[in-house]
Amino acid sequence: MIALSILLLVLAVFGAPLFTVIAGSAMLGYHKEGVDLMAVAVEILGIAGMPFLSAIPLFTFAGYLLSESNAPKRLVRLTGALLGWMPGGLALVSLAACAFFTAFTGASGVTIIALGAILYPALQQDGYPENFNLGLVTTSGSLGLLFAPSLPLILYGVVAEVSIDDLFRAGVLPGLLMLLMLSGWSFWVNRGNRRPLKSFSLREVGAALRESMWELPLPVVVLGGIYSGFFAVSEAAAVTALYVLIVEVFILREIRLAQLPTVMRESMLLVGGILIILGVSLASTNYMIDAGVPQKLLAIVAELVTSQTTFLLLLLVFLLILGAILDIFSAIVLVVPLILPIAAQYGVNEAHLGIVFLAAMQLGYLTPPVGLNLFIASYRFDYPIMRVYAATFPFLVILTLSVIIITFWSGLSLWLIPD
Amino acid sequence: MTDGARSTLGKLERWGTAAENASLVLLLAAMMIVAVGQIVLRLFFNSGLVWADELLKMMVLWIAMIASVAASRSNRHLRIDVLSHFLPPQVSRLPRLIVDAFASFMCGVIAWQSLRFVLLDYEFGDTVLVDIPAWMAHGIVPLAFAVMSYRFLLLFIREGISLVRHSRRRPPAS
Repeated sequence: MIALSILLLVLAVFGAPLFTVIAGSAMLGYHKEGVDLMAVAVEILGIAGMPFLSAIPLFTFAGYLLSESNAPKRLVRLTGALLGWMPGGLALVSLAACAFFTAFTGASGVTIIALGAILYPALQQDGYPENFNLGLVTTSGSLGLLFAPSLPLILYGVVAEVSIDDLFRAGVLPGLLMLLMLSGWSFWVNRGNRRPLKSFSLREVGAALRESMWELPLPVVVLGGIYSGFFAVSEAAAVTALYVLIVEVFILREIRLAQLPTVMRESMLLVGGILIILGVSLASTNYMIDAGVPQKLLAIVAELVTSQTTFLLLLLVFLLILGAILDIFSAIVLVVPLILPIAAQYGVNEAHLGIVFLAAMQLGYLTPPVGLNLFIASYRFDYPIMRVYAATFPFLVILTLSVIIITFWSGLSLWLIPD
Repeated sequence: MTDGARSTLGKLERWGTAAENASLVLLLAAMMIVAVGQIVLRLFFNSGLVWADELLKMMVLWIAMIASVAASRSNRHLRIDVLSHFLPPQVSRLPRLIVDAFASFMCGVIAWQSLRFVLLDYEFGDTVLVDIPAWMAHGIVPLAFAVMSYRFLLLFIREGISLVRHSRRRPPAS
């Protein structure tokens, strides 16, 4: 039994698809308890029983469509017109544009490819140091994870059965804190080069606004609709997907109809990967709860930890290690059900727990050796991976600081949630 | 492998991809239309279709299954990707061979177990979405896992062949 569990771990490290490893461990557990293995099939069918899940394919599809169109270019122009007059303007523009884009495209690495390709050469041309640019673009790829309607937020809400509206509210201030701290760092690094990108011009703002007039309603409808409670998150996702499809394909015609199946398939690859892990995790979670794993974990933790502060510290260390190994989506479905009851014992609010979880996992995108953003940037901008590690390191330190603040200042997450 | 067998496999491959793409396109389109239609009904006619919510959830299941078949074809399943980044390609071949065999086996087991469940659906005449036989709606699960098992088996065979060829071609140590 233990030998087989170790074998599964070895297979996971060898790079077996995670869903097969999780399914294997669930079946091992069921077998031990004498439960018919058919139960695994029943649990996978549980995908069809979860609320709001349709938001995940729909938002992902909308995000991929946007990234294939010229929307990233328009977004950079608009942000430039609005923020470019500040000293160090282009760095700020990059951070803001990336955060916004990531929130809408679900933090899947498309930001680095879609926006980085525009921003990186522009930063170089504007005389920012090369390492700074590389680090900035790599970091920006996952910035914005805490803003609605990012996929990890939705997935956490579904798995933890926490109100997704509350999570969308909880993410706003912590997300802004990350943006602010990174902006501060950018100012400091480039204090010798305080050149604004361009002077402020109402005419340029007007032109940029006109150029993006078709995309402008999106944040209003989606965020306004969700925050006001007018739309459920799955409804907002459907409206977004249909709207983006009509605008980019039929009105602006930036994506040809013949391209559409490819974009759909491409976007669904990620969705398939996430949802199948969700399905088999339902089985493994069910087994672990039956076997009393959360209680046993709690007993161990209770030995070590008495106060909420030390619990959060332990949690943070655990999440940072987890983030270096597992991608954010697998981590959510596998780990959240186990730590949720423990966190409740220490009086940690579940929305705050979600923000801490995602913020810490965001660092995982940038942590060597396997951070996803590091490899995408290395591949996309053609630098050796060690160089990307080094360039990203200062940004990683700043973000780690922000995650520590977010973890221990729960008021920041809970401020905007109505009682 | 004979040329005939190879071209049949190639054809199967192309048809498979086309079928995946077509069903993903249809499912996504249907999902948008049903969900937006439901909103329109709610806002302007103060009504809605009782089965729409269940239909949307069933479509999520279908998308999940078909998209993960597509992910196994394009080798895009989420995994802990350490070895391939740090080992030379020849060395990382052996772990990949083992992993593909395991994935094929696991998908086979899940396909078998879910087939048993779907047969029970059939036997009891369960229905979903008012009066659709449940075995039709749930049948996608064993089907998808069976196809994935086959996909990983192909990968395993391919890796195996190139591993054998490579070790044969390696020059003798001097």
